[in-house]
Amino acid sequence: MTDAAVLGPMPVYNEAIVRKFTIATMFWGVLAFLVGCTIAAELCWPGLSFGVSFLNFGRLRPVHTSAAIFAFGGNALFATSLYVVQRTCRARLWGGEALAEFLFWGYNFFIVQAALSYVMGYSRGQEYSEPTWHLTLFLVIVWVCYAAVFIGTLARRAEPHIYVANWFYLAFILTVAILVLVNNAALPVSMYSSREYVAYGGVQNALIQWWYGHNAVGFFLTAAFLGMMYYFIPKQANRPIYSYRLSIVHFWSLIFMYIWAGPHHLHYTSLPDWTQTLGMAFSIMLWMPSWGGMINGLMTLSGAWDKLRSDPALRFSVTAVGFYGMSTFEGPVMSIRDVNALAHYTDWVIGHVHSGALGWVAFITFGAMYYLVPVLWHRTKLYSVKLVAWHYWIATLGIVFYMTSMWVAGIMQGLMWRAYDQFGFLQYSFVDSVAAVHPYYIIRLLGGLMFLAGALIMVFNLIMTVKSPSTAPGALAVPPRNLPSGLTGAVLAGE
Amino acid sequence: MVRPQADSGRYMGEQGKSMEETSEFLTGGFVAVLGLIGLLLASGALDDEMYLFGFSLAGFALAFNAMLIRRHHNRVDAARALAKAAVRHD
Repeated sequence: MTDAAVLGPMPVYNEAIVRKFTIATMFWGVLAFLVGCTIAAELCWPGLSFGVSFLNFGRLRPVHTSAAIFAFGGNALFATSLYVVQRTCRARLWGGEALAEFLFWGYNFFIVQAALSYVMGYSRGQEYSEPTWHLTLFLVIVWVCYAAVFIGTLARRAEPHIYVANWFYLAFILTVAILVLVNNAALPVSMYSSREYVAYGGVQNALIQWWYGHNAVGFFLTAAFLGMMYYFIPKQANRPIYSYRLSIVHFWSLIFMYIWAGPHHLHYTSLPDWTQTLGMAFSIMLWMPSWGGMINGLMTLSGAWDKLRSDPALRFSVTAVGFYGMSTFEGPVMSIRDVNALAHYTDWVIGHVHSGALGWVAFITFGAMYYLVPVLWHRTKLYSVKLVAWHYWIATLGIVFYMTSMWVAGIMQGLMWRAYDQFGFLQYSFVDSVAAVHPYYIIRLLGGLMFLAGALIMVFNLIMTVKSPSTAPGALAVPPRNLPSGLTGAVLAGE
Repeated sequence: MVRPQADSGRYMGEQGKSMEETSEFLTGGFVAVLGLIGLLLASGALDDEMYLFGFSLAGFALAFNAMLIRRHHNRVDAARALAKAAVRHD
């Protein structure tokens, strides 16, 4: 019996909006990587800012982080969440096309405005929370609309069950709303001024900032991308999730524990010791739910490991899960107070962040994009599987260069800063440590350039997938999928 | 198993079309208000950032609503052409 016979007629999905978010994902991805390489080069050779204010590191750095997290990652999450919620609920997006269009144009308007404000020198000065009050207010409006569209679609679902990927997306939408509202509480100097007085002062401000900052990582960059993993890996591998029960258990434990881990960013500060210890303890406990997700993602390939040889797009997704496991192991280790004494303020932290951002977030997104583009543009296949393989190896090598150079540089910095001679004086001045890491900064730049080159290959491949006659529906019959007996395509991943 | 109570908007029938029109009206109206707020902010701006944001918001609202109007008329034209074709076919 066919899927249509079992499930009835399929709804008319709003795929146009998913296509727009997909294009934006690729555009912002390339831009984020390009700006990242630019500031990496500036760290090697500071003269590269040419004395121009809007090219200096301090202004371009938030452009890079915001473009990577909120523009590239955010658009990828909009694209996949709106695709997944429609497919797994068998319902068209709630709110109509106009509201969906507002989501796309409104969110990207916010990103452009935020980037312009950073290069003009306007910022709240808090990491990952740089947009000034009026931009944040506009983002809140867009986000409320997003929540309404997502929850409205869930409410009108034709399926009795809410598939687990939607749980992760929902946790992301709701928690990010709370995080942004609380952390951005402020009193504007005037309605007509972009300046503001932050509602919190001193260590309370630091605690709330890192409660926000760490949970931006936890819910924006982890929970939401786990939602992506739970839909796209089963679809790419043509296998059901290894353990649906594990997915629910690790969902609840992950969202309960993540929210407490923020204080580990404030070890050895004026924050009370018990609060630092609390943050450290919850960070260590996070190993369990994090690895629950990793095991579930990897084991979904049971019986289909051979696909890794033939499908480089799936290889991206699975490697992403590997990087996720690695960075969620490294993070808790770095949160231990004694390890943090060495790691804090060094480039080890930068390496750790990028193993998560490049290895997990970007790779799981690339895997999803390679799956989505032929589906959304109704093509039979990707333009070139060989180019996907090239992208995979170049990007993976780039990450290896990036991570290893930052590990070495960071640990060296930490050791140099704490070294003292027999008289009790510091053995090295700060500038000694800056000079010592210079070669590693060049290796990091090389890694970043390789990652950027891989992304450009992907963009070329996906544009050709959409445009080339060789991928058009009439050009080649769709090869039959090797489904396990008793399963149809729609049964996988909650559809 | 299919949920019996929830099928609104699934097949883009009359109900779906009505939702599209309501959505266009409400979203367009809301964005127009945002545009006016943008002009207000730009008019009294005390710094470059607010000036740029205010005018950009007004421009965004104008472009967005122009897009909605274009989409509306495209849809009406398409429906009219479909109706004409059906009459010719009969």
